[in-house]
Amino acid sequence: MLRLATLWTAGVPAVAPAFSPGPSRYSSVTEAITLVVLLTEFAMLRAGLSRSQVRLYAFQSFAVSVLAVFVAANNGIGELYAVAILAFVLKVVVVPAILTRLLRDAYVGLVASHRLRVATMVLIAIVVSVLAFIVIKQLPIRSPSLPTATMGIACAVILVSFLLVILRSDVVSQAVGTFSLGNGIDVANFIIAAGLPLILGVVLLFDLLVAAVVFGLLIRAHHGRARTLSTETLEQLRG
Amino acid sequence: MAGIDLTPVQIQVFQVLAIVVLAPLLSGAIEHLEGRLQGRRGPRILQPYYDLAKLFRKETLLPEDAGWVFVAGPLVAFMCYLVVPLLIPVLTAYPLPLGFMGDILGGGFILGLAGFVVALAAAQSGGPYAQLGSSRSMTFGALIEPSMLFITFTVALVTTTDLPYFEAAASRASLGQAVRPAHLLAAVAFFLVVLGDTGRIPVETHASTLEFGMIDEARLLEHSGPLLALLKWGSAMKQMILYTILVNVFVAPWGLAGSRALSAVLLAIPVLMGKAFGVGVVFAVIDNSFSKLRLFKITEFMAGAFLLAALAVVVLYLGSG
Amino acid sequence: MVGWELIVVMVVPLVVGLASWWTPAKLSRVLSLASGLLSFVLALTLIPARSATALSGWLRVDALSVVFMVTVAFLYMTTAVFAAGDLRPGGDKRYLRRFFAGFNLFAWAMLMATAVNGFALLWVAIEITTIISALLVAIEGTDTATEAAWKYVVIASMGLGIALFGTIVLYEAGTVVFGSSYEPFYSELLRAAGRFSPELVRLSFVLAVLGFGTKMGLVPLHTWLPDAHSEAPTAVSALLSGALLAVSFYAILRFYQVSIRTLGPAFPRDILLGFGLASLVLSSLSLANQRDLKRLFAYSSIEHMGVLAVGMSFSTRIAVVGVLLHVLAHAAAKSTAFFGAGSVTNTFGTKDMRRIRGGTAALPWSGPMLLLAVLGLSAMPPFGLFRSEFLIVSGGLTDPKDAVAAVLLVLGSAATLGLSWFASQTMLTPAGRRPPSGTGVRGSSEELAPAEACPALPGSPPARSSAWIVAAMATGLGALALLGVHPPGVLSGLLERAARELGALR
Repeated sequence: MLRLATLWTAGVPAVAPAFSPGPSRYSSVTEAITLVVLLTEFAMLRAGLSRSQVRLYAFQSFAVSVLAVFVAANNGIGELYAVAILAFVLKVVVVPAILTRLLRDAYVGLVASHRLRVATMVLIAIVVSVLAFIVIKQLPIRSPSLPTATMGIACAVILVSFLLVILRSDVVSQAVGTFSLGNGIDVANFIIAAGLPLILGVVLLFDLLVAAVVFGLLIRAHHGRARTLSTETLEQLRG
Repeated sequence: MAGIDLTPVQIQVFQVLAIVVLAPLLSGAIEHLEGRLQGRRGPRILQPYYDLAKLFRKETLLPEDAGWVFVAGPLVAFMCYLVVPLLIPVLTAYPLPLGFMGDILGGGFILGLAGFVVALAAAQSGGPYAQLGSSRSMTFGALIEPSMLFITFTVALVTTTDLPYFEAAASRASLGQAVRPAHLLAAVAFFLVVLGDTGRIPVETHASTLEFGMIDEARLLEHSGPLLALLKWGSAMKQMILYTILVNVFVAPWGLAGSRALSAVLLAIPVLMGKAFGVGVVFAVIDNSFSKLRLFKITEFMAGAFLLAALAVVVLYLGSG
Repeated sequence: MVGWELIVVMVVPLVVGLASWWTPAKLSRVLSLASGLLSFVLALTLIPARSATALSGWLRVDALSVVFMVTVAFLYMTTAVFAAGDLRPGGDKRYLRRFFAGFNLFAWAMLMATAVNGFALLWVAIEITTIISALLVAIEGTDTATEAAWKYVVIASMGLGIALFGTIVLYEAGTVVFGSSYEPFYSELLRAAGRFSPELVRLSFVLAVLGFGTKMGLVPLHTWLPDAHSEAPTAVSALLSGALLAVSFYAILRFYQVSIRTLGPAFPRDILLGFGLASLVLSSLSLANQRDLKRLFAYSSIEHMGVLAVGMSFSTRIAVVGVLLHVLAHAAAKSTAFFGAGSVTNTFGTKDMRRIRGGTAALPWSGPMLLLAVLGLSAMPPFGLFRSEFLIVSGGLTDPKDAVAAVLLVLGSAATLGLSWFASQTMLTPAGRRPPSGTGVRGSSEELAPAEACPALPGSPPARSSAWIVAAMATGLGALALLGVHPPGVLSGLLERAARELGALR
């Protein structure tokens, strides 16, 4: 109170507290990209059309590739460039193309496949993400390549992709959910195992490609039998 | 002229006057732009002044059931809108004495009070559309509150205080602080809050009165004459205040007067108008690009804003960013 | 130490699988048989070896891997024999082509999973098994098959995603010793395990159990299993239940090996105990409730996986030897059971147990063998499962956790009741008695209306019990009996060595 009174009479502008320079630019940018990955995951929760979900997945994979380039540039890991380019080609171009081609035969209406209302799903997803952050905070994960907050974000992406599979009742959402789980794990990979040998990275990517083909075939089979992309009909096997 | 220094009291008066006088101008400019974007000639930029002048000359009609709240509502709201510019950085980069009277929470409270009394006045009028508007605006206002709170928490965590001045200072301190993810998230979240509060697409159609979608517009329907003028002026001032907070605290806290020189302060006014108009351009483009959400889907919008604000807090608090 | 056997095992099933896409069905049958036999023989020759490496360390087997490789190869062989009899050529060409290609590639992938060196390649191999087996589950093309395949692939992929995360965390734990870029081979990680950060290893173990446990069928991650195992064609079901679950368990064991060296025995064992008990409880309770024949056996698989997990949680060497023996014996018993189930459903045209009566009359050879397999699954002497469960329980009793061993016995008996009910109802009840649901089904087995037809191969006559099928079942039963009565010396030596590798010293 005394301070306020002297200010009023003296009319001297108060001085702002001194701020630390804040996180480094690399740190902020990479964290922002990881946040974009997480926000895309939330957008997938909401997306009504299967087409939009596939596009969102392509966008998310693009963000992951950009992140890979940043990590490679900052930490001088040459192999990661190759992985980034390959990931871009496979995950942004090929896999969405496969899914879109298989969807072309299917009648893509506005599949109202949300099990809960969108706002409720978003709230649940927020709670789950906070849980992920809290759990990661307890672990001594120190990353040489990315700021520590990104690990929590990667975990949140993984958990929200689970929610996507559980809370949406159509096959494309579930397929995209599984693939975006892979994206979340890729981000986690950059955080803690950026030095994974090139050959293993390539093998993992091709494995994703094969998985995408298989998923696509099964979606086609499901649509062929059930004439719909919804999984509401998959209730016959119980007990 | 150049060497004259103003006392802090004078600068504060300047701040309030700037908002009061320039708010209708901003409103008119945005409407004109929107008209142009739609291929029309658009209304005159000074049209809101003419409208206010016309309304002040007209007579006041009160509905049968209206009581003193009906009359007092617009007056109290206008006074609140006069108080809020004292608390936020409008023209100066340094905090002014009365600026310590209230922090972001205080400012938010006073804005909320203004909205509350307007809704009360509308509810007391007995007209069906006014009551519709008042109940809807209270509901959606309550839903947007958690986002506002979390934005406040973000500011508090970054600057360890609650004052909007210091958040602006933090952003000016270094580029690293300005682009830190939590700050960006809070900025976008606040943008969405402003969009909701000023009644723009996708929450409400600003340009017309559709009864299916009216929220804020409906509250004004029963007032007339000078009271209606005060309400319209008040809502234009609220729009300008929110834009000011958005640009001067979160998005572009540059161009504010760093000293008490008259010239610096006078220069800050067109800079402020320019920045506010920039925000208005963005809103006008959004207006013409998207469609209004169904009333029930506005909760999705609110959930999205809350998501961003919550993530901002979580990333700051539990991470390091 | 020359690893040429490994290279042959890697190449031959892959080539056969790819070739089956083009060769006619008769030739595919023969090739699959040859490949299966060759793999089994080579796996047997690896038993006495201490370890074998190939391809500059990318392929490596030690005693633990050989146990599982023998399991997989044995099942490969017997299922190839069964498939030769079950799928008479003259049926749908596209189906046969897909079936044989998928079948061989599936077996190849499982053999690879046991032969590769390193956690990353292990994950990749198991992922390949998942996607191939998903296609095989869907191959019948019915509504229920597509449903089962979809559930399977989604749940298993999610589980494997978690497992990949666990692998990455383990990799990160290793960077402390090896630097940021290294090949995560088993032996190196084992040697350095003592220096890893305990929290990271703990997290990686939990994630691995959750992830690979989904593929293994541990409760509560098992929801896909009854559907997938019952909707797949019989040969595939046998491979799924006998081999794939075992390979997933093998992956968990690899993580277990590293974890006990870093964390000590307590934590990993508690985790396995928890999941194992949950599996036992749920599956035992569900067994009594089943109408569908193959689902019954699927739940029995879940029960046996629970026994494996609980057995690993006992810290004595006897228990671990019992667990490994259980893997082998379960494979033999379960495959025989599924083969018999396949015979039965082909004969009666339905999987519904309430409609099947007089099994032993209709199937003079496979009927009694199926009964024997069911007895074997219920852990009756003199079969192998009795010996293995005996070893596990006695291992448990010498441990302070003897209460758990008692629970194991009780739950095992409950499961036995379920299986025995099935046996008496379907196989021993003479045809002609009205089934209790009273749906008006006429007496003799030949006139049963196939209400829930298990789709026999489209367009071919129902194979009742051809000589091939009988041979396959006989081999399985023979192996089961051999393991129970007198396991060969080399095999016991192998199991002991594997147990020692898993860290059970007492």
